Amino acid sequence: VTKAPRILVVDDEPHIVRGLKIILRTAGYAVEAAETKAEALALLAARPPDAVVLDLVLPDGQGVDVCREVRSWSGLPIVVLSAVGDEREKVRALDAGADDYVTKPFGTDELLARLRAVLRRSGESGGSSKLTLGELDIDFADRRLHRSGREVHLTPIEFDLVRVLAQNQGRLVTHRTLLREVWGPEYDDATHYLRVHVAHIRAKLESDPSRPQYLLTEPGVGYRLRDPAAR
Amino acid sequence: VAALQSSAPAAGLGILYLLAVLAVAVRRGQVAALATAVLSVLVLNYLFITPRHRLSIAHSQDVVELTVLLIAAVVVGRLAATGREKAAEAESRAGLATAREREANLIAQAASAVLAGENVQMQLENIGKRIALATGAGHARVVLEPVPSPASGEMAVRLPARSRPAWLYVSRDGDWPQEDIERVAEPLGKLIDVAVEREVVSERAAETEAARRTEVARTALLHAISHDLRSPLTAITTAASALRAPAITEAERSELIDVIDAEGSRLARLVGDLLDLSRIQAGAVSPQPDWCDLHDVVTSAAAQLEADHRVEFSLAPGLPLIRADAAQLERVFANLIENAAKFSPAGSPIEIAAAAGTGRITVRVTDHGRGIPKRYRSRIFEPFFRGGEGGGAAGSGLGLAICRGFVEANGGRIALQSGRSSGTSFVVTFPVAEQPAAVQ
Repeated sequence: VTKAPRILVVDDEPHIVRGLKIILRTAGYAVEAAETKAEALALLAARPPDAVVLDLVLPDGQGVDVCREVRSWSGLPIVVLSAVGDEREKVRALDAGADDYVTKPFGTDELLARLRAVLRRSGESGGSSKLTLGELDIDFADRRLHRSGREVHLTPIEFDLVRVLAQNQGRLVTHRTLLREVWGPEYDDATHYLRVHVAHIRAKLESDPSRPQYLLTEPGVGYRLRDPAAR
Repeated sequence: VAALQSSAPAAGLGILYLLAVLAVAVRRGQVAALATAVLSVLVLNYLFITPRHRLSIAHSQDVVELTVLLIAAVVVGRLAATGREKAAEAESRAGLATAREREANLIAQAASAVLAGENVQMQLENIGKRIALATGAGHARVVLEPVPSPASGEMAVRLPARSRPAWLYVSRDGDWPQEDIERVAEPLGKLIDVAVEREVVSERAAETEAARRTEVARTALLHAISHDLRSPLTAITTAASALRAPAITEAERSELIDVIDAEGSRLARLVGDLLDLSRIQAGAVSPQPDWCDLHDVVTSAAAQLEADHRVEFSLAPGLPLIRADAAQLERVFANLIENAAKFSPAGSPIEIAAAAGTGRITVRVTDHGRGIPKRYRSRIFEPFFRGGEGGGAAGSGLGLAICRGFVEANGGRIALQSGRSSGTSFVVTFPVAEQPAAVQ
């Protein structure tokens, strides 16, 4: 029997923490909580959890700083809670190393889905060469993609985009990460490339490209590839 | 010349006359030179050509000599006179160039005055000073007015500015004649246009900047509101889904219900405060003024305090009544007392003092907390401003903004007096109106 994954919740609102603890425990996690940045960093260093749920606004500092510090020594997954409703704050947190975010007030299902996604990725070591996502079968080694058994032809760039998104299955991938992985670091700001290619990919993968089921947009932040059934 | 007649031939003497013609041409110009040439030939003929002392000529050789002499004299005279004219022309051109140069200098000076001045008035003053300096006049001034009003001893020059009618007044003790000054009137007029235009542009820029600041403040406010509304909402929705979880204990259940309860009232309070604040900011507070006794207002406000603090009153007896909205003032003092309780150690007393002074009545609410750091004092009444410590979740950050709004809507003033080492006083003053008949 595997031990329950341990989650550290960092939030200075005790009422939110109280509810979160029960929800996470019921979902099968072991939960610890910290109210301040200092307390969080101390707990993280003493006994690193399997994932962190982190509020962006803390009484003694910014959640972004916690992301940065954690990333300097660990790749453990971080899901950010943002009440700010500000894309820039989210992007700042993601660039500082957060893996995903939910906006307050968030649905419990949404938070749990994000947590599952980030934990799954951190559990995968090296990753296999094949992935099935709903009707999609992706073969990374052969660089081929089948939808319902029929091959879908993707250009090399389109396949690379799908690959990066699929290897982060269910997780948010920022514009910046996609651009760097597919085009290279000098293309950081070329988000218009993404818009064009994502539209092409959707035309090939989605049954209704205007209502995508696989390749979702996080406005102003990035994209996410998910299994439509896995919600 | 007559003295040399024995030793020189007549034509040779004629050369000496040529010298005279040359001298006259250089001094007096062409006409005089011509006259001198003719006269010289006549005199030569009369005095030296045989037959002497008569204007007739005996030898044809002399005729030729005299004719050559005359032609030479005329040519020399002309040449010399042309030279003289050229010299005169060059001289006047140089003079003109100097005049233009000093005019250009003056304009440049005036232009730099426009660039250096902060506003049109200052720029006009500077232009006046520079003109006085450049023209050597005792004083000069530029005035924007439609009808000239020179002082005595001043000449008035119209400056043809398109933006506004302008006049230059220069005292008559300067080195420049009026027409020279008039020559610079047009460029000066254009400079005044530039100055006026600059002021308009900078005024517009200031307006834009003010609008931008308001926009920034509004965005910050919205930001704060959305953050403050989302926190209790998140606590409520989280608690609600936690309640749905299958395996929770009875203790947890009641705890979660308490959370929903508390956060619900926090949300309600916040929404109420936001409404008050927006009414205050829109100037729609509309107090219902009536005679009210601050003694009653303060004691009933203090009675609402739930926290563990002792309230000590020192209210002067027989305080005059004021005209104000009692309900709004009660909100004010309840807020101040609650604030005092929040920011001072449990059990420490909160002091409320009231006294009447000259035409004013003053109420002071004092706590024994840590005081408010200097850097926060000027911002303490701003909406959503929280002084850092003291519990982020505890208040909306709107209390003091609302206090100030209500106090001012009721004709009073509120100020912060932070103690030397510790403690904070909020001082509320109201004007004392003439008392109603029954009380006098």
